[in-house]
Amino acid sequence: MQLRPSLDSLQRLLIALPLIALTTTSFAAPNSSGPVVRLFPTTVLEDIRETGQVAADMENNLQEVIHRLDLQQQLYTESLCQGADGDQGCDRIAKQLGATYLEMLNAMSDRLPEMEHAVNSTRASLEKRLREELGQRTTPTSLQNALLGEATPAVKQDKPALRGRSGVRLSDRFKQYYELVATHRDGPGQSLAVVAADIYLDMEEASALIAATQQEIARASLMEQLNQSFGMITPEMAAVVGGVKEILFGESAGGAPIASPPYVIGETPFVSPLAM
Amino acid sequence: MIRSFAAALTIALALSACTTTENTSYCAAPLTGNLESAIRGAESRLADGCTYHFDSYFQSLLSTAENNPDPANPMLFSDFLMGAQDRGIISQRQAQSLYNRYFNVKFVSLQGDYNTCSQTCPVRDQVMSDMRAELHDKEMGLLRASADPQSFYRADNLLKETELVLEATCRACDAGGR
Repeated sequence: MQLRPSLDSLQRLLIALPLIALTTTSFAAPNSSGPVVRLFPTTVLEDIRETGQVAADMENNLQEVIHRLDLQQQLYTESLCQGADGDQGCDRIAKQLGATYLEMLNAMSDRLPEMEHAVNSTRASLEKRLREELGQRTTPTSLQNALLGEATPAVKQDKPALRGRSGVRLSDRFKQYYELVATHRDGPGQSLAVVAADIYLDMEEASALIAATQQEIARASLMEQLNQSFGMITPEMAAVVGGVKEILFGESAGGAPIASPPYVIGETPFVSPLAM
Repeated sequence: MIRSFAAALTIALALSACTTTENTSYCAAPLTGNLESAIRGAESRLADGCTYHFDSYFQSLLSTAENNPDPANPMLFSDFLMGAQDRGIISQRQAQSLYNRYFNVKFVSLQGDYNTCSQTCPVRDQVMSDMRAELHDKEMGLLRASADPQSFYRADNLLKETELVLEATCRACDAGGR
């Protein structure tokens, strides 16, 4: 049974997806020693919003089928079907489980071309902004100043972590990411350069995973169709469904924040005349 | 006549040797006391001609500060470096570099006036390596000598963010042919 590699790809893709639905308005990263760096103009935000919508649709689409998979898996387990070869009832449950599994693959397959287009479009627009704004219009000195900011305010401890952390529902993550960027209206908590870089790198990964997933889905579907003939259910299938469910609906604990402890503004620090 | 000249020369050479030995031991003697008195000692010796020992004095002062961590220590180092600069022992650039390397959140290793695509991306690995080495010095200056963990964590975070942003930016530069 060679379903695992393809479903690993699916899982990794789902992990990467939340980062593409970051925000819906335009923001500019502050640059204390140079021109304002505009990393999220309207065009980029439109791409992100569209991609986020596609990701949300995929979540909604998969929610029902994964719920059914969960119930069927529970029934299979409670019926003590594991290892019960030749039991007609268990064979029937296994076939139903396999059919639902195929349905999940098909649901993802249906959404992937649209997702691929949206991800690639967002990746390309972010790539252009990063190159022009941070690569060509920014010096190493001003980049460092932009990252550090004039004064970093205390960061909320429940700030969503970047780079595909699991533990919350996808749509909730979108909301958190929106709030993360929205806080930049009142002042920088984390440089938008970091956010942009993070999204861009995840887009690259997502783009590669979509391509790999599309290739794998056809093969995985064929393998499962063959399994339907023999009424097999594999531990790998159960594990993968569990993993996808965890990613989509956040049934595990959240990851640690990536930022270091916040800089506490209190007494005025000494500033040397030698300081950069 | 020749005999008296030779005797005078011998005495002069002997005295010179004594002076050199005395100077060497004076310059190389360890700086003692707390940071302020050690700085006074270093300044006194530098004024007496021990300028070649500046680097060792600076390292010795860092060790003294490490044993007496205090948030006021960066100010003492700043004054010491500016005094050395005023007396022409080190250049302004050296003074700035030393101070910022040890006592500033910002990285001396990430400086430049040309754009990131052309200046930093071609040597990104080297820049990151230099920044990691500099973070080690900031650990000494900010964390151990100044008891300022907040600033050190900011420097640590800045390094991580720089790594991420440079990776993305340099990929974008490469994709566009710089």
